[in-house]
Amino acid sequence: MRVEPFDTSRHMEFTRRATLVSGGVTLLFGGVGYRLYDLQVRRHDEFRAQADENQFNTRLIVPLRGDIYDRYGEVIANNTPDFRVLVIPERTDDIRETMKRLASIMPLTDRQIQDVLDKAKRQRSFLPIQVAGNLDWDTYAAVNFHSTDIRGVVSEIGASRAYAEDAGAAFVVGYMGAATAEDIRRAREKAQTEEEADKIELLYRQPGFKIGKAGLERTLDERLQGTPGSMRVQVNAHGRVIESYTDDAVPPKQGEPVGLTIDKELQAKTLEILADDYGEYPDEALGEHPLSASAVVMDIVTGDVIVMASTPSFDPNVFSRGIEAKLWRELNESPLKPLLNKPVAGTYPPGSTFKLLTAIAAQEKGISPQKKHFCNGTFRFGGRDFTCWEKRGHGWLDMKGSIKHSCDVYYWNLATELDIDDIAGVAKRYGLGQTYDLGIGAEADGIVPSRAWKRAYYRNDPPNQTWFPGETLSVAIGQGAVTASPLQLAVMSARLATHKNVRPRLVRAMGADLLTQPVFEDLPGNPMHLKAVQEGMNAVVNEWGTAARSSLQPDYLMAGKTGTSQIVGLRRDPVTGRRLKNEEIPWQFRDHALFVAFAPYDNPRYACSVVVEHGGSGSRAAGPRARDIMRAVLDKDPSNYDKHKFWTGQRPETMDVASLGGTR
Amino acid sequence: MNAIVIESAGKSKIRKRLAELNVPLLVLLSMIAGAGVLALYSVSEGNWNPYAFPHALRYLAALVVMIGIGITPLKFWLSVAYPGYFATLGLLLLVPLVGDTNMGAQRWLSLGGFQLQPSELMKVALVLALARYYHGLEFKQVSSITGLIPPLAMIGAPVGLVFLQPDLGTAILLGLSGVTVLLLAGISWRLVTIGIIAGVGGAIAGVQSGFIKAYQWERITAFLNPDADPLGANYHPNQSKIAIGSGGIDGKGYMEGTQSQLDFLPEMHTDFIFTIIGEEFGLYGALVLLGLYLAVFFTTLQIAMSAKSHFGRLLSFGIAITFVSYVLINTGMVMGLAPVVGVPLPLVSYGGTVMLSMMAGFGLVMSTWIYRNQDTLRTTGFGS
Repeated sequence: MRVEPFDTSRHMEFTRRATLVSGGVTLLFGGVGYRLYDLQVRRHDEFRAQADENQFNTRLIVPLRGDIYDRYGEVIANNTPDFRVLVIPERTDDIRETMKRLASIMPLTDRQIQDVLDKAKRQRSFLPIQVAGNLDWDTYAAVNFHSTDIRGVVSEIGASRAYAEDAGAAFVVGYMGAATAEDIRRAREKAQTEEEADKIELLYRQPGFKIGKAGLERTLDERLQGTPGSMRVQVNAHGRVIESYTDDAVPPKQGEPVGLTIDKELQAKTLEILADDYGEYPDEALGEHPLSASAVVMDIVTGDVIVMASTPSFDPNVFSRGIEAKLWRELNESPLKPLLNKPVAGTYPPGSTFKLLTAIAAQEKGISPQKKHFCNGTFRFGGRDFTCWEKRGHGWLDMKGSIKHSCDVYYWNLATELDIDDIAGVAKRYGLGQTYDLGIGAEADGIVPSRAWKRAYYRNDPPNQTWFPGETLSVAIGQGAVTASPLQLAVMSARLATHKNVRPRLVRAMGADLLTQPVFEDLPGNPMHLKAVQEGMNAVVNEWGTAARSSLQPDYLMAGKTGTSQIVGLRRDPVTGRRLKNEEIPWQFRDHALFVAFAPYDNPRYACSVVVEHGGSGSRAAGPRARDIMRAVLDKDPSNYDKHKFWTGQRPETMDVASLGGTR
Repeated sequence: MNAIVIESAGKSKIRKRLAELNVPLLVLLSMIAGAGVLALYSVSEGNWNPYAFPHALRYLAALVVMIGIGITPLKFWLSVAYPGYFATLGLLLLVPLVGDTNMGAQRWLSLGGFQLQPSELMKVALVLALARYYHGLEFKQVSSITGLIPPLAMIGAPVGLVFLQPDLGTAILLGLSGVTVLLLAGISWRLVTIGIIAGVGGAIAGVQSGFIKAYQWERITAFLNPDADPLGANYHPNQSKIAIGSGGIDGKGYMEGTQSQLDFLPEMHTDFIFTIIGEEFGLYGALVLLGLYLAVFFTTLQIAMSAKSHFGRLLSFGIAITFVSYVLINTGMVMGLAPVVGVPLPLVSYGGTVMLSMMAGFGLVMSTWIYRNQDTLRTTGFGS
């Protein structure tokens, strides 16, 4: 074999170069080895921490909201499992694609998808966004099964608020809604530290988390809310929880239960009675049976509001789930005002029920209840004729008779001797023109007219600030500027029955504490002045007065007073000049029908007020309803400790939704 | 004359050749492939499927191919070097015409049921062709212009084609191993310097003119600034650094890696397989694997040095360089030292073509070993 000379030289060159390159390779391997040392030894702690941060998350556990019970512990509001689907934007590269794929396994509207996409743009990407809640089990199970291979999708079981459906709870307990940016800002402001504020914000931003938006849910929000817990969980890159560490978990604390004074059963019964047809007149635009009514029943001794009903109403469950715009518009635009909490926020001219107060004011002015006035149907004052509702006249009447027959002329006679400020003082003393802080917000003051009120009311219109005696005439029979809410009228009735400063309350227990039962002091003024008034109220119902058909005899003696308040002036036919009856005019121009009552007459325990908006007349629309409500109340006697087992602040049973919560 | 003897060899000859196989090389390669099986078993959460079992099977098949190539005389490989190169170049040309698109790049050819990546075969074919070329070139011609143009063209054509697929990683690997063969063949240092300057200038021009795709550039720059865009271009290298770093000295334990088992690293079974070794077996495990690779390199170096023929030397060392280039670029990119360019870890990453091409390459190394004493392979002139 012959070795060429150049072979030798290229072999030698190869050996040199190969050695050189091998040295280089070895150096590079050394570099890789050093990098390993750098990552795994020198910076190990840093990466260990990052790996832990990757795999361990602290999950906030949303606390269960405190339950709300009626006076016997019947549930009015509690928590129910809520199957929902969430998306965590941070865990998907393409949220549009995620939503598209999600839509293929569960029904989703374009609008829902758009909402999620919008939200994803607005808030920080690690915060979950609720796609849909209140899913039925089948949908939830399907999503749960298929969502494992869609990045960013999480399904979980949470809790949502549920309200007893027949309890008319909407106006008493209110409803829930998602926290708005404004809510979050306000909640943050209340926090002591920045850290606490962040925690509150995190809680408020939890998917499906709701805060009280109205009623007790709103006023008692902090107490009902409870304290969130926390738990460490191991998650994979898709955010799926692989393992939960329950050992060092801080369990959430359920919010405090709240016990109401309401009797759920009677509340439901009252709502039924209010909505029933008591022979109201139909209306062309609103149909056969337009009805907008409210009622309040109080325990005179304790001030407990046993019934606070308003119809038509709405289902607070719908609000808690998130109301659709269409339904919201309907509720908002209905002339029957289903969103108005009428027992406390509806104000009406009290009409003839106010005569009871005028009668007391007169006695305090020294006018004897025995003094009689003659009613021939009209009363001339200031060059004008005022017509009594009974055009034929009532003849001679004393105070009791005037109440029994609700004679206008009698009170016009009193009014000429009374000053408006005297009447205003009595009205305020008996509960009008003030709020009671029931804790449900929305309470209206109503108007008790006086010289000071008129000055304030017309502060930009000096010529109108003077009080005219003619106005006193209107107020004396509960017309003119005077207005009151059904709650105020019930309080008035309770105070007229007892001469005590009765104040209503809606909450009897908070947490495990029964609130102390209030003791009501005597009202100022002479209790003897009430005698003629009470006798008159008894006569109204039981001695063939204006509400004779509302008598509960022989079972119970109920005292009451009708009221029919005009909301427009005299209504005459433009052609013939004939005075038009209620049934001849549209619903919204008809008179309001009112009734106030207390019973039993000889030992008053329950006071009641009923207002039927545009119901026509107090004796027709309001009286019979009050009768039926009071019969139900008296039959049950909801304040009788011997008859009923009262809730003492214990939870009857707890639903352990929290343990279901968290992510799969 | 020798070749004729061998070609007519009977079964006894084959048995004799088999006895001459380089056992350390076989053992080292099998250990590396075994590490791959172990890692892939862990990737699929303790399942033989879909990765670990096929990987083992493919390795065994590739081993048979390697031994078959190994016992085939080196002279035969010399004779097929050019045809093989041009055939592979032809396949590369076919890719853009009939190939499959996968993740935005066209790299695959479907050949009756199984898929082939011609660019992987080219790595071996290029080294083979270059070794063939320099084997026939007089040493004094090496640094001459006429002697330089053919090899540069041989390197440039496949690199260009692969780059256009676009597959930056393979293009870099091809260029790197080709240039290394040039270096080993003994081109003058002056030319090496000019080459480096031209390469850098070309890269800058490539970026300026938009010749390098946006996502490729993103990946390249991302590695220089690991804190930027942690969910985009830097997601993979950041997460793999966390995985390896959190593994510590002795690792989190087999199948206990949180980063890998909890899916923080998608596509773990291919390019980022090294992270699972770093995470679960720690510094010890990673160093053992690196040591195995280095041992393969030095075993191959020793084989190259032992060969009498220039062809065998350049061929073996070229294969060794290709092999360690894979390892260095892959571990570098997994640990944030190099841009993420899509280079697998040879014999460990899941993937048939790379396994096959690498084992075929080592088959050539084996052939060099068995026929190391033959130096009469020399032919003269290009293409003769």
